Amino acid sequence: MFHAFDNTGPNRPTPRPEWMALLSRAPLPLLEQALSAQAGTSLQWLRKPETGLYMVQGRAGGTGQRFNLGEMTVTRCALRVGGEDSAVGVAYVMGRNHRQAQLAAVADALLQDPARHDALDGALLQPVRQHLALQQAQRAARAQSTQVDFFTVARESGTPDEGDDE
Amino acid sequence: MKADDLQQVRPGFHDAAIGSQAVFRSALSALSHPGRVIEMPDVSELPRHGHGAAAVLLQALVDSDCSVWLSPALAGTDAAAWLRFHTGCHWAAAPATARFLWVAEGDALPALATLDAGTDEYPDQSATCVVDLQALEAKGADALALTGPGIASEQSLCASGLPGDFVDQWDTNHRRFPRGVDLFLATPTHIAGLPRSTRIRAAQTAVEA
Repeated sequence: MFHAFDNTGPNRPTPRPEWMALLSRAPLPLLEQALSAQAGTSLQWLRKPETGLYMVQGRAGGTGQRFNLGEMTVTRCALRVGGEDSAVGVAYVMGRNHRQAQLAAVADALLQDPARHDALDGALLQPVRQHLALQQAQRAARAQSTQVDFFTVARESGTPDEGDDE
Repeated sequence: MKADDLQQVRPGFHDAAIGSQAVFRSALSALSHPGRVIEMPDVSELPRHGHGAAAVLLQALVDSDCSVWLSPALAGTDAAAWLRFHTGCHWAAAPATARFLWVAEGDALPALATLDAGTDEYPDQSATCVVDLQALEAKGADALALTGPGIASEQSLCASGLPGDFVDQWDTNHRRFPRGVDLFLATPTHIAGLPRSTRIRAAQTAVEA
């Protein structure tokens, strides 16, 4: 799903929650491509990839009572790239692909490093934004083709009051 | 947990399945041979605070249904963040409501009578207390004399750092059987178990008798 906050305004840095949201929806080929240079670096696992279920909750109309929409499979992991003091990368991704969770966590760890942030933003986050926007446009176009325009036929003669009097 | 806490967290078990089973095996040995000093296998990375054997033991025993109380010297340290991250446990506000307690070396052990002793229907739902001590020896001055299930005749255990009235407190705890709390004593590398079924006397009285 494409979210409103995926469109960053000009000169606005992406905060961590937003890039984590992007990474959790990034397809595996894009992650592999952008992080191929990091494949050899040593990882310190805090939590190896593990797959579980999350109960997704919704609200009718966005404001009503909370209800359980259904369960969804999520894989999560946490790791450090490099030494003991380096930043911890965390990832939660949909599905059961451990490799995808690992790469998303690596990307999260590297994005916290100010020296590497901008390069990776261009190499990974921007393509992911484009991918999600494209996906959203395709979905909207598919929905658009089935759109039906309803209209109401207005009464043409006189006002209702006049009609009642007669 | 805050992001700053996560930054402090060190890894846990090298292999979660094998490590936790090895530790659980040690915990079983400790409780089935009360007072015997048992070496904890080296299967996990450790937090910087608290004793290693206690940390690994709690990591193996605690899960997300457990409430844990940490003594003041441990609360808020990286040991707390580590245990929370790897087990998903939640913190108990007071010792009386906790299912597991971890008392750091030098911190006061909460009075055993105030801890959750379970009910007569569910005596298993009682508190388990892990106490960090400087050293555990099978023999030494001021040794405790242990008798009861799992001990052939008498087991001697020298545990320095327990409160002065510990033997009296334990006597009260033992008399509540089947209710009562269980104790693990931990050094950085070894543990000893004191299940509620064990009777404890101070060794001097044993010599006089």
